[in-house]
Amino acid sequence: MDITKINRRSFVGTTAAGTLAALMGRDPEVVKAAAPAATADAIIVLWMGGGMAQTETWDPKRYTPFAPGVRTEQVLSTFPAIDTAVDNIKISQGLERVAEVMDRAALIRTFQAADLGFILHSRHQYHWHTGYIPPQSLAMPHLGAVIAKTLGPRNPTVPPFVAIGQNLEIGAESPALKSFHTAGFLGTEYGPFLIADPQDAASAVRPPAEVGDARFKSRRKLYEGLLAQEPVYQYAGDFQREALIRSLDAADRLLTSPSAKAFDLSLEPKKSFDVYNNSRFGQGCLLARRLVEAGARYIEVTTEYIPFRYWDSHESGHERAAAMKAEIDAPVAQLILDLEERGLLNRTLVVLASEFGRDAITEGKVGKEVKDQAQTPDVMTLPKHYGMHRHFTAAGAVVMFGGGIKRGMVYGKTADERPCTTIENPVPMEDLHATMYRALGIAPDTAFMVEKRPVYVTKEGKGKPIHELFA
Amino acid sequence: MKYCSFFWILALPLAAADRVDFDRQVHAILAERCIVCHSQEKRSGGLSLATWRDTLDGGRSGTTVRPGSSATSILIARVTGESQPRMPLGGAPLNDSQIAILKTWIDDGARATPTSAPAKAKWEAPLTLTRPAVSDASIDRFVSDYLAKNSLPQPALVSDTQFARRTYLDVWGLLPTPDQLREFTANTDPDKRSKLISALLGNNRNYAENWITFWNDLLRNDEGVNYYSETASRKSITPWLLGALESNMPYDRFVSSLLNPKAPTDPEGFLIGVNWRGVVSVSQTPALQAAQNTAQVFLGINLKCNSCHDSFISHWKLKDAYSLASYFAPEPKLQLYRCDVAQDQFSEPSFLYPELNRAPASSSLADRRAAAAAIFLDPRDGRLARTLVNRIWERLLGHGIVENSDEMDGEPWSPELLDWLASDFVDHGYDLKQLIATILESRAYQAVAVAHKANEPTHTYRGPEVRRLTAEQFADAVGSITGDWHVYQPSGGKPGEYSREWHVAANPLTRALGRPIRDQVYSTRDTQATTLQALELVNGETLTHWLSRGAKKMLGELPPDPGSAYDLPYSVKNGPQEFDIDVSKADKIWLIVKDNGSYSPEKVQAFWQLGSDAVRQVKTPSVTVLDIKGKGFTNLHGKVGIENKEVTSDINPQVRFFVFETEPNMERLTHVAPALPVEAGPVLKTPEEIVNRVYWHALGRAPSPSERALAVKTMAGHSATGLADLLWAVMMKPEFQLIY
Repeated sequence: MDITKINRRSFVGTTAAGTLAALMGRDPEVVKAAAPAATADAIIVLWMGGGMAQTETWDPKRYTPFAPGVRTEQVLSTFPAIDTAVDNIKISQGLERVAEVMDRAALIRTFQAADLGFILHSRHQYHWHTGYIPPQSLAMPHLGAVIAKTLGPRNPTVPPFVAIGQNLEIGAESPALKSFHTAGFLGTEYGPFLIADPQDAASAVRPPAEVGDARFKSRRKLYEGLLAQEPVYQYAGDFQREALIRSLDAADRLLTSPSAKAFDLSLEPKKSFDVYNNSRFGQGCLLARRLVEAGARYIEVTTEYIPFRYWDSHESGHERAAAMKAEIDAPVAQLILDLEERGLLNRTLVVLASEFGRDAITEGKVGKEVKDQAQTPDVMTLPKHYGMHRHFTAAGAVVMFGGGIKRGMVYGKTADERPCTTIENPVPMEDLHATMYRALGIAPDTAFMVEKRPVYVTKEGKGKPIHELFA
Repeated sequence: MKYCSFFWILALPLAAADRVDFDRQVHAILAERCIVCHSQEKRSGGLSLATWRDTLDGGRSGTTVRPGSSATSILIARVTGESQPRMPLGGAPLNDSQIAILKTWIDDGARATPTSAPAKAKWEAPLTLTRPAVSDASIDRFVSDYLAKNSLPQPALVSDTQFARRTYLDVWGLLPTPDQLREFTANTDPDKRSKLISALLGNNRNYAENWITFWNDLLRNDEGVNYYSETASRKSITPWLLGALESNMPYDRFVSSLLNPKAPTDPEGFLIGVNWRGVVSVSQTPALQAAQNTAQVFLGINLKCNSCHDSFISHWKLKDAYSLASYFAPEPKLQLYRCDVAQDQFSEPSFLYPELNRAPASSSLADRRAAAAAIFLDPRDGRLARTLVNRIWERLLGHGIVENSDEMDGEPWSPELLDWLASDFVDHGYDLKQLIATILESRAYQAVAVAHKANEPTHTYRGPEVRRLTAEQFADAVGSITGDWHVYQPSGGKPGEYSREWHVAANPLTRALGRPIRDQVYSTRDTQATTLQALELVNGETLTHWLSRGAKKMLGELPPDPGSAYDLPYSVKNGPQEFDIDVSKADKIWLIVKDNGSYSPEKVQAFWQLGSDAVRQVKTPSVTVLDIKGKGFTNLHGKVGIENKEVTSDINPQVRFFVFETEPNMERLTHVAPALPVEAGPVLKTPEEIVNRVYWHALGRAPSPSERALAVKTMAGHSATGLADLLWAVMMKPEFQLIY
């Protein structure tokens, strides 16, 4: 990976589709259904890209330690379970800190990814992030863009939609990733403010290093001066001219506002910073907290999806899961505690999720198996065989904290023996989204008029929020 | 019971007192017998009869009422049973006097009230082109007619410099250089505008490198962009497209090649569409995508809705999309799927307009594609030429003759202009350059631009609209003003090329300015100014760095990038390679390992093995500097490669090795051929020279004394940084970014 590519905040501002809506100055009309009262004002999505193994994290099953000769089909979890702050909820060893704050959480164990055939991560990620399965005949907007557009910014000097931690140049799946990191037909105003490296976030809102503060100011003055000295011509009142000038003013305000300090992690007290500072993801959680405090609306922090890396273990799953849990444990727990301490947790929805789960044997769902992508032998002989290496779409875990969600509960049940399929209360994509939207006060059949037809925020407007999750 | 039907034969329009009153008489009937299904909420068949406006708007089957012609009005055909099913559906028919009221009302003009004027018929786009029956047909003639009819003034013409800036940008996508501008304005030839247009169009390379962006957007083409597909992945059509534009391929042959690619060099990639791996909704399989894309791009018809089910917003049905898809599918017979549920219905190749339909010679894919191409290009298919003409007009004047080129059923503000221009285009052999020239030559194009009016219920043409530089034009402006261009790196170890922006991968700057991802068809670009876009312009890395380099280049302060002594794009297949380099003149040697996108660079075991030394493993990426000053070495020989025995897919090494004898520019390691897309300007010496040049090139005029004073002041002292700041300030001005 070219290190210079991930040090910069890069803005992805893809245009709206070549539709009616894209013709200059026309935003798609929002058809708002009767909106429920919001229980949250902001949302943080902690994105575990790559397929997070649910039996190794939030839905532990019978533990089988590694020993050469163990049959793969016997292995459901490679970690023992641990108690949490909630009596009847156990999670996987390695998440001890989060276990202490599970009493602020609702745990869904039965998220159902779609059946899309030969599994491609980015396709499921597109589905998760837009609610629609690609390919689509319209450029579909990211959840963050939908929320930014429907609710507007909380603080006009903070970008409403911020995406942290994902480098978009990852090789073959880059175009697929980029295709959903967009505001699509909603227009570039609602696109993601991308920060690949949180430590570098401050530079995203400071003058470019090459320019420096002093030149930044003098350059702006030169621009204003030249504008003022412009010979008067017939286009003085032109709205496009005014719009361009206003947009530069807005950018300048953002860069010089006190809110910009939220991006600077070096301003965080060292003691606090150190808790988060175990990884880019950890730093991202800190940045997310600071941005919620400053007034962002939708913030996504990811452990990053790169094929075969991080959560996407095709071998050595146990070792990989241990490392990933170590990466997320302290920062996630601290994020929840910090939000609570600042009185923000009740009105901030935190959602930890992944595009699907994992299993040692089944690729896809039982009865709907798809082309295999891992080589785990029937009998484990080496440590690299030990783990969950296949993509499992019959169950997945989603953890929701705060934001008006009921606390200390489990929703949905999976089987205790293989296949650990959902047996009670499946949660399909549209219902998961409807639940998130409901918390923010957006009806699941809210729609945008595009090319003369309504595009709903959940598929066909039929998403149903999970009522049991609301206090 | 037998009815005898009345026929009201109207010889004269009725007096107001005798007219049918819509509210009291017509609405009474509709409210009692029709609105139960044709209410605004229910809209059976897409039709509401709740208000006068709704009644005239019609529904999915088209207009229900043709003012002045009850005989051809669907409303009457339905209530008389001439068109089945008879209306009201499932109820007793209207009686004779009710039907008579409706007929009279329609024949008298379907007026809103007895004292209103006759209603205007809802526009229905004819299929075939209508050649206006005038002898002096021209763009300006029809525009003048329109302006006169609407009591609008004839706009004045733009100045020479504005004309030049516009025309250079529209034909070449480049700003005129100060020299080109001066030459044009000084020229006293009364025909100079016409000659400039010809000269610009005559430069095939510059024309093609501009217009390829327009076509890339429409045809979903982007190099090096693939979606992970098991079957045919999206194939680039760039070589064909660039060639077609450079040779001014006639549009009919252009479309035919896209619909029916036969030769190996033909653009098959267009019909393949964007394929994602796995199980895809039937409505997005390649054949259905082909139906949607061909209908949208070439005919201005939206088949997206009815690829899944019968459309709720138009008269197109599911089988229409499938019938068109059948020309492009592997098998001619396609099973219909409604919302991904299989139907007991199969399609065969059949065109959207039955009058143009023709059966393929055989059921082979080649013959079906050939039939599709022939149908689209049928002389009776006016939509093909109309849609293209509208797209080009929209590109050049900022606003189509029909509002939305993707919905060519919309009403043109001048049907005569549109059809004449389309006919003229066809008559000239579908010559795209000729069409562009015709438009550029017109007074209409050369008129002073007006501001775009947002949210107009119906558009009134007042002149060309103010437009904005596209992302590519903005980037190419930086390149041409500074002389510093982005580099296009061909594959296979060839040298790089200084290139115009269309050819290089999208970067944060061009994405912010509107370069799309091209997984969809883009007919127009979003030109809105947004905060995120402004952030990129104000403190984005791409522009900052570019202007910094560019300023140095303009001042002659940018040293040439040193070339490498050795350059190996590593191939895992070929394995480690030996090298032998003359280093007798070098004091230092840089051994560089560049990472070009390995999945796990930390796992790549790159090594250098020099002379008889042991193998030296290095990181990826890495730079190792050897100090050989005074040591008397003449040659550096050895081996370079990667040691990994097991090259698994999660490492995917993409590595390039370099040896340099002078300190390299880490951003320009590969050798770049010296040719520039636009000849660089002279190296500038004094602040006055610089300020003048920037203004003339960027804005097409001299700076006023106060502008000059302010700008020169900025240049004082740190000239390269001052110039970078000046370039930035000027490029942020709307005067630069907008095309007046």
